Amino acid sequence: MTVKAALRIAPALLLIGLALLGPWIAPNAVDAPVTAPYATPDSAAALGGDQLGRDVLSRLLAGGRDLVLSSLLVAVLVTGTAAVLGAIGAVRPLVGRLVERTADVLMLLPAVLGILLVTLSWPDGGRLAVIAAAVVLGVPYAVRLAASAATPIAEAGYVEAAAAGGERLWYLVVREILPNLRATLLALFGLRFVAAVYLVATAGFLQVGPQPPAADWALMIRENSSGLLLNPWSVVAPSIAIGLLALSVNLAAATLAPQTGRKAVTVL
Amino acid sequence: MVLLKRAALLALLLALVFGTVELLPGDAATATSERGESAADLAARRALLGLDRPLLERFRDWMTGLPTGDLGTSARGEKVTDLLSTAFPNTLLLGGIALLLTALVSLTLGCWAALRPGGRLDRAVSATATAVLALPEFVVAVALVLVLSLWTGWLPAVTLADADGTPASWDMLVLPALALTLPQAGWNIRIVRAALADEARAPHVETAVLDGLPPHRVLTHHVLPGALPAIAAGLATSTGMLLGGAVVVETIFNYPGIGSVLASAVSDRDSPVIAGVTALSGAVITGVLLLADLVRDLVTGVRR
Repeated sequence: MTVKAALRIAPALLLIGLALLGPWIAPNAVDAPVTAPYATPDSAAALGGDQLGRDVLSRLLAGGRDLVLSSLLVAVLVTGTAAVLGAIGAVRPLVGRLVERTADVLMLLPAVLGILLVTLSWPDGGRLAVIAAAVVLGVPYAVRLAASAATPIAEAGYVEAAAAGGERLWYLVVREILPNLRATLLALFGLRFVAAVYLVATAGFLQVGPQPPAADWALMIRENSSGLLLNPWSVVAPSIAIGLLALSVNLAAATLAPQTGRKAVTVL
Repeated sequence: MVLLKRAALLALLLALVFGTVELLPGDAATATSERGESAADLAARRALLGLDRPLLERFRDWMTGLPTGDLGTSARGEKVTDLLSTAFPNTLLLGGIALLLTALVSLTLGCWAALRPGGRLDRAVSATATAVLALPEFVVAVALVLVLSLWTGWLPAVTLADADGTPASWDMLVLPALALTLPQAGWNIRIVRAALADEARAPHVETAVLDGLPPHRVLTHHVLPGALPAIAAGLATSTGMLLGGAVVVETIFNYPGIGSVLASAVSDRDSPVIAGVTALSGAVITGVLLLADLVRDLVTGVRR
């Protein structure tokens, strides 16, 4: 990996690290008022107060961890599922066609509506419902890319030799195909992480993910929007946080993508 | 043939939507129950909403009702169609404007960048497009409201509706449409750029360049037609993102579309309403995908 590539990945790692450690370095409690509602920044609260007078800075530091962790989990699950399905589909064309058709159906469902559908039909699901919905909605897009990368490998001589030698499907997928998909899967993971941040944050904004009084960037934007003029930081700070997370992860994902695979562009 | 395939896919999606609503725990009767309601009350409302009938029978009713425009009954006992009759056209208007803007912006910037591949403009456009495509719509919306409405006062920050439920003036559409367009434009600029680059390698384009035709003529007459199917497919994929994004953007700007209907559905945990909206959106996306198929058939037909 070149220095230039490392520099493009660093912002994402730094921000993710900060979001994960944030809850421990927050100066104030996230659920108790320390100042007046929508108070402007002062010595008590560096970024002012939110709609209940809670410290915006502390809530900002605490509000990114669950978003990042959920998005990471979604990206890992989607990439893993898509890789296995894509590889099986490349070895068994019948399964491949079935997977393709299922993906066609799921692509007719706008992701935001899909996540609302699942979280509302499963009211006690909470964060689990959001993660499950994001995985189901992400796999159709990822499986296309995984399948198109796995097909040429499945047609390679050594895989055909292994198949002719009577190796089981599982062996072909896990030992012959997946190891050769590493570069594609790393790029795919980056893209799915970008998409997962979008979906999980949007679910938070639509109030189907974390519930008050939880500190969550997307929920902070929703809750404090009526105080945008009184203390702009209560809305602007979490917006910048989500924006920076999306941008830096996207930059890292673009760096990880293999340069020859421009087809990777058409997958989110 | 294509029509049949698309219709079959849509029908499968509708079955999936119904299955999701039914098989996950929780139903419309418990979702709207009030505190202190007895089990008998709950059972009575379940009977009223028809939730006590067998699953297959309800599925048949829901599916056969769809083509006639009957989307079922919400948890509060209203017709879903009545809830959506003014809201969905409003959302379609907003989404349509955003799709049109996305197409214009991405085609213009994508072609402009393609005229000088690797040049400063090309790199600037590509970098900006990559930067904005990952931004959630509500973050873009907050930034737009802050700059174009609160600081400069150029545009209204909220949408006011007329008595008939449509936006009161055109300038209320600008900010919501922009918030939807920006991320999608970033996305489609990259698709346009990639499609043009692929097509520029085709032999007939090389011939046109060697014939000494000016670059813009090569672009509009030789490169663009071949790249159109990929561009149309990209825009069709954006339709789903735009409809989903509209739900989010509408809640920010208080725009009278499905976003506000869904917002109250969220607080009521009203899944029949969501299922109805999903069915309508699926139908719209199927329509746009059919248009993209048509573009592809036209272009390959001309080629042949």
